[in-house]
Amino acid sequence: MSTTDTKVDPAGGASRSPGRGSGDGSDPSWLERITGGGSPLVVLLRISLLGLVVYNAVVFTARLVDERAWLALGAMWLATVGLVWLFTRPGRIPAKFIVPGTIFLLVFQIYPVLYTGYIAFTNFGTGNVLDKPTAIEQLQAQATRVPPDAIRYDSTAFADETGALALLLTDPDGEQLFGTSEELTPLDDLGDVTTEGEQVTAVGAFERLSLVDAQEFASELQELRVPTDDGAIQLQSLTTAARAESTRVYDEEQDLVTDTVTGVEYRPVEGNFVSDDGDVLTPGWVAIKGTENFTRAFTSPLIRGPFIRVFIWNYAFAIGSVFLTFVLGLGLALALNEPRMRSRRLYRSLLVIPYALPSFLTALVWTGLLNTEFGAVNGLLGADLPWLTDPWLAKISILLVNLWLGFPYMFLVTTGALQAIPSDMLEAASVDGAGVWQKFSRITLPNLMITVAPLLIASFAFNFNNFNTVYLVTRGGPPIQGAQTPAGHTDILVSYVYRIAFESGRGADYGFAAAIAVLIFIMVAGISAYSFRYTQALEEIA
Amino acid sequence: MRTRTLAALLLVLALFAGACSGGDTEDSTDDADTGAEATEESAAEDEGTEDAEADGEAMDEEATEAEATEAEAAEEEAAPEEEATEAVVRADADLVIWADDTRVDALQPFVDQFGEENGITVALQELAFDEIRDQFSTAGPAGEGPDIIVGAHDWLGQLVTNGLVAPVDLANPDDYADVAIEAMTYEGQLYGVPYAIENIALVRNTDLVPEVPATFEELEQTALELQESGEVEIGLALQADPADPFHNYPLFTSTGASVFGINDDGTYNPDELGIDSPEALESAQKFGEWVESGLINPSVTYDVMVESFASGNAAFAITGPWAVSQEDPPGFRAQGVNYEITPIPPVDGGTPAPFVGVQGLMISSFSEQGLLAQTFVQDFIGTEEVQLALFENGGRPPALLSAFEQVSDDPDVQGFGEAGQNGQPLPAIPEMGSVWTAWTDAYELIYDQEGTPTENFEAAAAQIRNLIAEG
Repeated sequence: MSTTDTKVDPAGGASRSPGRGSGDGSDPSWLERITGGGSPLVVLLRISLLGLVVYNAVVFTARLVDERAWLALGAMWLATVGLVWLFTRPGRIPAKFIVPGTIFLLVFQIYPVLYTGYIAFTNFGTGNVLDKPTAIEQLQAQATRVPPDAIRYDSTAFADETGALALLLTDPDGEQLFGTSEELTPLDDLGDVTTEGEQVTAVGAFERLSLVDAQEFASELQELRVPTDDGAIQLQSLTTAARAESTRVYDEEQDLVTDTVTGVEYRPVEGNFVSDDGDVLTPGWVAIKGTENFTRAFTSPLIRGPFIRVFIWNYAFAIGSVFLTFVLGLGLALALNEPRMRSRRLYRSLLVIPYALPSFLTALVWTGLLNTEFGAVNGLLGADLPWLTDPWLAKISILLVNLWLGFPYMFLVTTGALQAIPSDMLEAASVDGAGVWQKFSRITLPNLMITVAPLLIASFAFNFNNFNTVYLVTRGGPPIQGAQTPAGHTDILVSYVYRIAFESGRGADYGFAAAIAVLIFIMVAGISAYSFRYTQALEEIA
Repeated sequence: MRTRTLAALLLVLALFAGACSGGDTEDSTDDADTGAEATEESAAEDEGTEDAEADGEAMDEEATEAEATEAEAAEEEAAPEEEATEAVVRADADLVIWADDTRVDALQPFVDQFGEENGITVALQELAFDEIRDQFSTAGPAGEGPDIIVGAHDWLGQLVTNGLVAPVDLANPDDYADVAIEAMTYEGQLYGVPYAIENIALVRNTDLVPEVPATFEELEQTALELQESGEVEIGLALQADPADPFHNYPLFTSTGASVFGINDDGTYNPDELGIDSPEALESAQKFGEWVESGLINPSVTYDVMVESFASGNAAFAITGPWAVSQEDPPGFRAQGVNYEITPIPPVDGGTPAPFVGVQGLMISSFSEQGLLAQTFVQDFIGTEEVQLALFENGGRPPALLSAFEQVSDDPDVQGFGEAGQNGQPLPAIPEMGSVWTAWTDAYELIYDQEGTPTENFEAAAAQIRNLIAEG
């Protein structure tokens, strides 16, 4: 039905749409053309979802216009119009499925990867988070200060009919002055002052603004400078004012910042203004600095120091975690797959508990359990084992915690995969006289691996970067004695680099962290690609 | 069959309950602990400024890290990733303030009053203490941040370097405690209005130890005797997990050591690292001895510290106002233990100097309501009324001198205040970021009795110099 429509529609639609008047509602193809056809519920859903898309586009337009992000604005509207167009047409079923998926892929997968890649080439980090114009603004704002000896005035704002602003300033001795952007005069010298009780309500054409009214002029008030002999008085808040002086001037033509007190000139170098002596002004801005982050990752003696140890443990941790969770998960799955077992459903639900709890919390709980003196584990064992402070025990602890967190996943996965193994194969094997072990190793496991192997690889990739478990349970500790940088026996690459990128120097170094993330990505991607080819081979054998 | 199922169910539940109530002593299978465990942890993180530095830094970047590796992680097992905190959306109001739960309640009436007086809308948004800085750092430049944040002075290094906070001009800085103004000043410029001062001190169980120990040696003796006689589980509850330079700092300074050299104007000099100075090495040696004697117990976490002292199982604790006033789980006051707060007694004749943290209100340099925000913090927060209200809620002594005087007859305030008089402001310089981990590691190695204490401090100093040079 709808396929015929698409064929008919273009011809009919082309002649009809300029006319517009012919759409009288009685024509079913007219309605279908607008709504895309389908059952009323589907139409309603489609319209509301498209409405949401359009609404979002409208909301974001204001912001993007504000930021002058024309490219993003164009892309967004193009996508919106495209979506509306696509989903208000009948047919094009494949596109209707593929387009949203592609959009999500772009937004949640491709964009973060590209963005991480981009950040890896910048100096983004503490001290360099702004764009250049904002950074220059902040440089000047930070250098604008009220001299310690300056007089602080109580201030009230005034405005005349043209919108010109003025300030009535009262110094600590009670003397009143009236300041406009042109001059500052003692109030007594001005003739035309209206007062109401103690309060001055008008000076000449200027009328007093209440605090509420003053807010309408907030940005103008902020810019107002009342000239004095040695600088300018400006508002410090809506009710106070003082003479402030700026010690930094930016010359746009030469693109340099000058310190007016010392006369030192600062030129832009890689995202900061730097003087000839190497004095760096902060804040700086985000700037491209090339491959420096990558070369640093390879050449810095700090990173090379404990790197090999960390690297080896990283593999041991990832492989160990996958292996242990898989073995336990599979074992439990096999046991609960046994029809003779009673209340299997109950056990199954209970076994998923560790998976259902947020790992963020349980990992912290485990650190409490493994506490040497007050922990429940040593309490139960009646032992005094330093679970988290001995290098080897800490490694074992972390594998055990990860086992606890991870086995339900493997249990679920293998339970599912076990159902898919045809039972007649196993029966046939039994008839042929195969034992339990033979059946498992020759039939169940190989068949299982076809389904599960890709998941094991994914799990390896996940554990390779399992920052949560490591950081929350041991924080990478216990520390390696005498290392060049702080590193621990249970640190994996991510947690180790995390320390260097975020707990050192001036603080966060996102550029460097991104470079490392890219390197780890390449590593994990390489391993995964290789393993997937291997599993394909496995599939062919089976 | 039914009974077997039931038994199995009970066993699993019991194991589960047992698993959740770790960190406590012996008979702790009751479920009340389950929730407590988690909240304690977060309470600890919210409270101390030290944690803001040591832990807080950690949590946010975790999110960043997550972002960076999300692409690869997307296909993996859907392990819960709740900790990747969601971005906070700026409330729709003329003036927006971000504060944590302890200040929100106190500020609310004043915020309402300020809004009413000026005919504007003011929104007070509640965030976890650590999250404020992190979210502010990203939301600010994007134009989505608040106008004002309530935070700790040691954030300034990062915030000012990033250009995120605006200078504040106070007409009457002399009305505040000197240390408060000093702390809120970064590179000669004031960046916030202080409202509270906090530092750690010695808390003593007066039932177990009626007299203030005159020296630290006397304290050590008393603590060890009580511990050995089995009267208390822990003689001195000094939180040590992870080995904690913030809480060790008073003992570290008692030999005359300081984390960084101090310039003439009272600011820290990052080029002069003090962790392997002769004085520092002497203090390392002492820590080694205290670990050996059993005075310092590496298993005492923040939770254990609060729990043991509040329940009368510890003779002494070294901690801050947060542990005293903590409501949930109950801190010292809520548990009704008899205690007194005094400065930490001199160690071998030397005076212990704790880190002093200052809390205050800072203004976003991206605020579109700059003047209004300035009016709020300058004319409003600096009033006695507001400072007292904030004291009522957080238990931290007010920074405004006149407000402080009003509450100074409170023995807790007096105790902490006296202990803070010798204090050094917690360094706000960004280089402090390089110090925490390496230094923590050094203490941890001393606690584990690996290598000699002096070796460990020397190694830490070398690591820190490496990190600073690299950063």
